[in-house]
Amino acid sequence: VFQDNCELYSVDLEKNGAGDVDVKIKKKSGKKSKKKEKLENMKKEMDVDDHQLSMEDLEMKYQTSATKGMSSVKAGEVLIRDGPNELRPPKGTPEYVKFARQLAGGLQCLMWVAAVICLIAFGIQMSQGDLTSDDNLYLAVVLIAVVVVTGCFGYYQEFKSTNIIASFKNLVPQQATVMRDGEKFQINANQLVVGDLVEIKGGDRVPADIRIITSSGCKVDNSSLTGESEPQTRSPEYTHESPLETRNIAFFSTMCLEGTATGVIINTGDRTIIGRIATLASGVGNEKTPIAIEIEHFVDIIAGLAIFFGATFFVVAMVIGYEFLRAMIFFMAIVVAYVPEGLLATVTVCLSLTAKRLARKNCVVKNLEAVETLGSTSVICSDKTGTLTQNRMTVSHLWFDNQIHSADTTEDQSGQSFDQTSDTWKALSRVVSFCNRAFFRSGQDGVPIPKRIVVGDASETALLKFSEITIGNVMEYRERFKKACEIPFNSTNKFQLSIHELEDPHDLRYLLVMKGAPERILERCSTIMIKGQELPLDEQWKEAFQTAYMDLGGLGERVLGFCHLYLPEKEYPRGYNFDPDEMNFPTSGLCFAGLVSMIDPPRATVPDAVMKCRTAGIRVIMVTGDHPITAKAIAASVGIISEGSETVEDIAARLRIPVEQVKKTIKKGSIVILPRLRLKYVHSSAGEKSPEQILKKPFKPCMGVTKEMILEECSVLGAIVAVTGDGVNDSPALKKADIGVAMGIAGSDAAKNAADMILLDDNFASIVTGVEQGRLIFDNLKKSIAYTLTKNIPELTPYLIYITMSVPLPLGCITILFIELATDIFPSVSLAYEKAESDIMHLKPRNPRRDRLVNEALAVYSYFQVGAIQSFAGFTDYFTAMGQEGWRPLLVIGLRPLWENTHIQDLQDSYGQEWTFSQRLYQQYTCYTCFFVSIEICQIADVLIRKTRRLSAFQQGFFRNKVLVSAIIFQLCLGCFLCYTPGMPNVFNFMPIRVQWWFVPVPFGILIFVYDEIRKLGVRRHPGSWWDMELYY
Amino acid sequence: KMATFNEKKTCSQRMENFQRFIWNPDAGELMGRTLINWVWISLYYVAFYCIMSCLFALALYVMLSTLNPYTPTYQDRLHAPGLWLGVMVRPDVFGEEGVQIFFNLSEKSSWERHVKTLQDFLSVYNKSVQFEKNCNCTRGKYYFQDSFKGPDHTKYACRFIREMLGNCSGLQDPTFGYKVGQPCFIIRMNRIINFLPGNGTAPYVNCTKVGGHSLGETETFPVNGTFDLSYFPYYGKKAQPNYTNPLIAVKFLNLERNKEITVECKVIGKEIITDNPHDPYEGKVLFRVKICD
Repeated sequence: VFQDNCELYSVDLEKNGAGDVDVKIKKKSGKKSKKKEKLENMKKEMDVDDHQLSMEDLEMKYQTSATKGMSSVKAGEVLIRDGPNELRPPKGTPEYVKFARQLAGGLQCLMWVAAVICLIAFGIQMSQGDLTSDDNLYLAVVLIAVVVVTGCFGYYQEFKSTNIIASFKNLVPQQATVMRDGEKFQINANQLVVGDLVEIKGGDRVPADIRIITSSGCKVDNSSLTGESEPQTRSPEYTHESPLETRNIAFFSTMCLEGTATGVIINTGDRTIIGRIATLASGVGNEKTPIAIEIEHFVDIIAGLAIFFGATFFVVAMVIGYEFLRAMIFFMAIVVAYVPEGLLATVTVCLSLTAKRLARKNCVVKNLEAVETLGSTSVICSDKTGTLTQNRMTVSHLWFDNQIHSADTTEDQSGQSFDQTSDTWKALSRVVSFCNRAFFRSGQDGVPIPKRIVVGDASETALLKFSEITIGNVMEYRERFKKACEIPFNSTNKFQLSIHELEDPHDLRYLLVMKGAPERILERCSTIMIKGQELPLDEQWKEAFQTAYMDLGGLGERVLGFCHLYLPEKEYPRGYNFDPDEMNFPTSGLCFAGLVSMIDPPRATVPDAVMKCRTAGIRVIMVTGDHPITAKAIAASVGIISEGSETVEDIAARLRIPVEQVKKTIKKGSIVILPRLRLKYVHSSAGEKSPEQILKKPFKPCMGVTKEMILEECSVLGAIVAVTGDGVNDSPALKKADIGVAMGIAGSDAAKNAADMILLDDNFASIVTGVEQGRLIFDNLKKSIAYTLTKNIPELTPYLIYITMSVPLPLGCITILFIELATDIFPSVSLAYEKAESDIMHLKPRNPRRDRLVNEALAVYSYFQVGAIQSFAGFTDYFTAMGQEGWRPLLVIGLRPLWENTHIQDLQDSYGQEWTFSQRLYQQYTCYTCFFVSIEICQIADVLIRKTRRLSAFQQGFFRNKVLVSAIIFQLCLGCFLCYTPGMPNVFNFMPIRVQWWFVPVPFGILIFVYDEIRKLGVRRHPGSWWDMELYY
Repeated sequence: KMATFNEKKTCSQRMENFQRFIWNPDAGELMGRTLINWVWISLYYVAFYCIMSCLFALALYVMLSTLNPYTPTYQDRLHAPGLWLGVMVRPDVFGEEGVQIFFNLSEKSSWERHVKTLQDFLSVYNKSVQFEKNCNCTRGKYYFQDSFKGPDHTKYACRFIREMLGNCSGLQDPTFGYKVGQPCFIIRMNRIINFLPGNGTAPYVNCTKVGGHSLGETETFPVNGTFDLSYFPYYGKKAQPNYTNPLIAVKFLNLERNKEITVECKVIGKEIITDNPHDPYEGKVLFRVKICD
């Protein structure tokens, strides 16, 4: 299966504005990446030879018996040797490492450094005998507490999202029927060992890798392993040298659809094929998401700048003549002021809010950061079956009375039905109902028909449900017409027939009903029923049949023919012994009733979602193992390709040139072509030249590798790819993709483990919702970060002025921590609730290299414009508070050495009044509080301007974001609480300041708002201008 | 997660990128901007900061123009309910825990510095200075002045001359008793505009020994150790440029020798709080004295 000469052709579409389409085709076969080599290695490991051994050798090898099974004693020994038969969950990171990681981020490290400096300063003061000042110890404890608390918060978030996944695990132990010591037992599947003789039947999950010994009509669904959706027959014969292709091995965790089989277990647990793929998937490193890279990038810059500022002012302080210890404390204070301590918590909360919102819309996000990744997705690579389609065969068209009728294929049966008055329909519906071995599982009367569980294969299920919907109560209907004989479908006959008694007790004829491949059915017919009349089947009708057959086939549908015959009473009287093997009854000269075609119809919401993707500039790649025509039909019906577009083969057929040549021509870009659905088709290139040969050759999915190939293809183009998957074979691709999306219903545990996101409803439309939310959160995170960064400047400038101008300190470290971690957290989180400014689904996906989360314009505008205004506001309030209490600005500058001298208890102010040190200290706290209040007031203006980046705040509306409004109120209340609670001066250095000082920064707040409105106006009016380039972030 | 984002750049690539950032010859960009763009953005920022500085200056100007030149707008830290009245002692040599006056009688230099501190401190209270600048006031009541009757639009301040300190004036005994181990300490209250201490009755100073029985015999000057009401209220530096604080001197006549003694001098008067845990200099002053032979 892992053919070395796998070739992948991808057809790439870039739609230009004029509707022209240019095409790139890339042939990717030569390149072998590391991942591929890994797969090659896996292939070698998979060289199991058990399928080639004879029964005797097998018995020898595993010391078992094909009739009696193993001895219990031996089984026990093997169990101890090999361990239980279950997949070991992928090794997770130990909890303490996860926690430690939360404490050792870039910013956290800086905080640790700051805390250590504080402790050292405290230690030196202690050793110098200064026991009065424990400020530094206090600050160190606060800093450590901040790091630990934010670390715990981050850890809790991570823990919560991990738990969501744990809840998906199926906890019900699987049972298996095993033969030991010649007796049958039911035991838990995890107790099985290599060499055990087990029995499987329809509906069971295969408990381990099994070499089949006996089989009767056993079919398995290997789709989770190989992607092939057709049921695969399992029989004792050795049919292929590859263990994955041969019929005599059934794989662990695949479903047995029908029949029974017994076999000897050849692999258990992690050594099974599935186990190896799962291990392989977990081996793919957990690499970083784009947002993680963004945040890391930005944290690095912040940390670098903090150290740069700190070091600069350390040097400046030393040069000015401060002692070493003081200079170190300045360094620490600058680091504390400059580092946005609350930022990581804000980002985490914003992401988890979106994750919660998505969970309500059936997207469970395992990895918080994946939320944003989804927003930058430029390619979605989706499975067809189950994701784009409903994953159930449904009757879609009928042909009778020389007319094609459409059936209702909607999920909830809300569509239009067809005219059912014709007698032909009555005959046809009878055949459809009778010639069907499927039945409803009992006890489902209350369940809507489309959702009922049916025992039978996909086509029969579709037909059963169709007749149940159109004529009602099929089971009872069948009872009334007693079945006399039946021949099930087989691949040589290509038909299925049954013979029934009639309901009417006076009519003693038998009714023979038959269905099968349309051309085979037609061969056996001599008449055709038109409007209830049997007409001879002449050339004209045959042509009509051919046209209808081609039409339905062209829709990508699976077509079945139906016919019937009333057996003459004389030849076949009641009690006639019909022999299905001898076929002692006519099977030709029947009356053709009609054609029924079935398809797995697209989900109702998918076409809209695909349309959204198109407008959002996201390419949708459909991955399927179906027949090209079916694939094309579905792709067209959901809008992935437009109606009437051609596949490579179509063009080859039309131009009568070999496919290879078509591909060459396309490479030159001279032919307009649309499809992208052929990616999954991989074929051996050896010796096949004509398009006919290629078309005729059944396409084989190049197992497990294809999605990875698509990923590689896209990664070359720099795209961010979302990949959906359900099977175990998809898990490496899910891991490797930028965002792996697993299916919640159909998905295997391995896929869910490997994925970043799980769709609870398996619906493609949910991915698009996710994209929308991801884009929104990217925009809103930008706003949140801009808001958070702004205040770092008014926090930093007090220290700079303090050091250079020797003014009494305007803002303390504890106050800064209160701004960062208390008052401003809620407003910055509330920006996550902001509605999108424009239709974000009409924009192209962001280019992860160019459109950064934090770009230069954002930082510069926040720091040097808004931040600067805020600093001016703070200093105005500071000088006001000092001036009105008796310290005029000119006296204040250069005052610091006297002001901070604890020995001076009678320092004169501008009015000649004398102040003790404590009085000055409380005045300093008053200044802290004024500066704090100024930052708060300006931050209210800031949060209002951050609501939009381009639109006017008036266009966006002030009160639409209720959370933001309440955040502002909360911020004000918390500010008042901090200022006016008794005891605060001595605990957190907040003073009950005069009410009028709250209003000093208000004009600056208004200035910020007006200035930003002007900026936005310029940005809107003159897109692309200098103003737009420099001031739009 | 895909290779595109995790390309590990080599050092030379990084350098190359950095060089390209510094100077990009294709776009003619220096550090991400063309030269003309740099000029524009610089001009923009110059203009921005000019305007902001002007606005800031304007704001400060408006604030300053609201201030009264004679009295501060608020006295929240000085003159508020539960008044914070700073009290200080001279000489004021600080040790590890507050003021400590340690000296050795046999070692002249150890007490001479304290004597010099007191002499310097009292120089403004010389008769000549006081008689030249300040007036004589009616003692025993507050000296309210509603108008500026003094020279150059000022208010008068009352005289406080060294002689009022008697044995501690440093006139008869220029060593203030330090030479003989009977040191003088001078207690003063901080100036607070419009503050009326004692609410009509003159506050006085009472010195006690902390954690002991008694200080022994003490003398206080002026007699009774009261701050006379006539020195209050204080009208500020601009209105009373020559104001001198009233003082109280305490002389310890027989302090225990070779022992560290903690002395607490409280200003006792109505509405003067002396037990604020956050300010050790409110309404009282603590100092430690040790006289060695």
